[in-house]
Amino acid sequence: MSALRAEAVEVRRGGRAIVARAALTLEPGALVGLIGPNGAGKSTLLRVLAGLVAPTSGRVALAGLDVGKMAAGERSRLVAYVPQHFTPAWDYSVRDLLDLGSRRAERPPALAGLLRDHGLETLAARRWSQLSGGERARTLLASVLAAPCPVLLADEPGASLDMGHRLALLRRLKAEARHRTVVVVLHDLDLAARFCDRLVLMAAGEIVLDGAADAVIRDDALDRSFGLRFRRVAVADGALHLFPIEPSGPS
Amino acid sequence: MTPLPRTFPRPWPLALPAALALGLVLGICAGHDWAGPVDLARALADPDTMRARLLLDWRLPRVMAAGLVGALLGLGGAIFQGVFRNPLAEPYLLGSAGGAAVGAAIALLVPLGLPAAPLLAGLSFLGAWGATWLVVLFARMAGSLDAAGLLLAGVAVAAMLAAVRSFLMFALSDETISLQVVLSWVLGGVQTPTWPGLALLTALTVAGFVLAQRLSHGLDLLGLDEEQARAFGLDTNRFVSRAILVGALIVAVAVAYGGLVAFVGLIAPHVARWWVGPRHAALLPVTAGIGAAVVLVCDALARAALPPAEIPLGLITAVVGGPFFLLVLARKLRS
Repeated sequence: MSALRAEAVEVRRGGRAIVARAALTLEPGALVGLIGPNGAGKSTLLRVLAGLVAPTSGRVALAGLDVGKMAAGERSRLVAYVPQHFTPAWDYSVRDLLDLGSRRAERPPALAGLLRDHGLETLAARRWSQLSGGERARTLLASVLAAPCPVLLADEPGASLDMGHRLALLRRLKAEARHRTVVVVLHDLDLAARFCDRLVLMAAGEIVLDGAADAVIRDDALDRSFGLRFRRVAVADGALHLFPIEPSGPS
Repeated sequence: MTPLPRTFPRPWPLALPAALALGLVLGICAGHDWAGPVDLARALADPDTMRARLLLDWRLPRVMAAGLVGALLGLGGAIFQGVFRNPLAEPYLLGSAGGAAVGAAIALLVPLGLPAAPLLAGLSFLGAWGATWLVVLFARMAGSLDAAGLLLAGVAVAAMLAAVRSFLMFALSDETISLQVVLSWVLGGVQTPTWPGLALLTALTVAGFVLAQRLSHGLDLLGLDEEQARAFGLDTNRFVSRAILVGALIVAVAVAYGGLVAFVGLIAPHVARWWVGPRHAALLPVTAGIGAAVVLVCDALARAALPPAEIPLGLITAVVGGPFFLLVLARKLRS
């Protein structure tokens, strides 16, 4: 029921196409990674999927309903969005942030249960300014997940975290993907290869490749999109690691 | 009741009512003719004496009006700080109060041949509303404004409005009472209202408080940042329009009764946020209470400091609030 479909989505600004001809069908059960070089249009496409940016043409439909035409309240109960940068103007506590996230649900869940689910009980009274980077990421995700949305979209959620916290965050997203549609923008290709079931590669506003993570990671189009050569090395646990090689002079 | 975080001082629930009661008593006692609490008790026991008439018929309505104006200024400040996500926003600095004063000056000085009271109220509101929108539109045009940028825009708007107001006073005054009244507006000062006038102010303050309280969840969401507020279901454009409408109404009433009183709208939400945290459902009533207490004390000072003259209220709040503002600004710029 919760298939999210982008149909011929195009976003133009100042005559330039930031996203062009994007078509995607996203379903629960698989963790989908959105990868590509800077400026490829990943964040913009994610915002369009979230209904936060209106596409110049095309549309995004969730179970047949146009996300762009939904009332803000209805949309917020269906699509959860984790921003890349989050700086609250006031020094809210962890409890406040979970409360604000949960209020959009038709029947807001009990805060005590939410705090427990996300391992935040001991931090409940802490203010945002007193949280470490890892605690902030967990709090933000908990706040966004405080209403039971069928779709979760996360924009580079672990960018500023150390490796341990990044892994924990991706494990959490992977677990969430079992019962909802989850799309995550990732810069780290190793992590994308390791955690995502499906990868969507974007370059210059277009979707270049869309397929099983393993196939996308091995495809030459990845190298072309980043303007690099990657050496792919399989390690003992079966995961592929990508080592970029400098482009060798003008070709 | 959710337990409050350790890092914030535990609110002492009786402190605010106590401060308000003290402010009220101080206000009634203060003046060029000081009364003691004993005099006040005696006046309450025997309200027909000369002294009792002075305290209860003359000072009491004035003092209550001062408290209500303070509550409105606090609420206006809290709403504008929430809308602009900026702890330095304030009706006086943003030009909303200046807009209301231009409206009031037009109502008082331009012979429009319309009934005075509704005209004053209507034009004050239009002035406050228009001036706030001017700053909002500028902020949207400039993308997003940081704290300093917003203040500069507000200062520019306020300066233009002050020029318009001065021009009106310069061109249209005829040495009648109206210029005096406009002057007292500019410097800030609560006039002694009639009992019906006080009843109307009370009703407007209650209405303003109810309207403000209904904004509290939206203001909380807006404090997350605009994109996340939308992701959490807030129609931000519509909400901001509504909040500015309510803020302008509140500021217009405050200005109509108390003139241009600076910095109360800055101090009250700050102290309240420090006291009960940033959630607006708790913040707004506490802000209103603190604003009322601050103006009660400043108004008492205004009447008692330099007898028999009365110092304009706005001068006192500016002297007290200016350093407070600079402190907050320094902290904001450092972070």
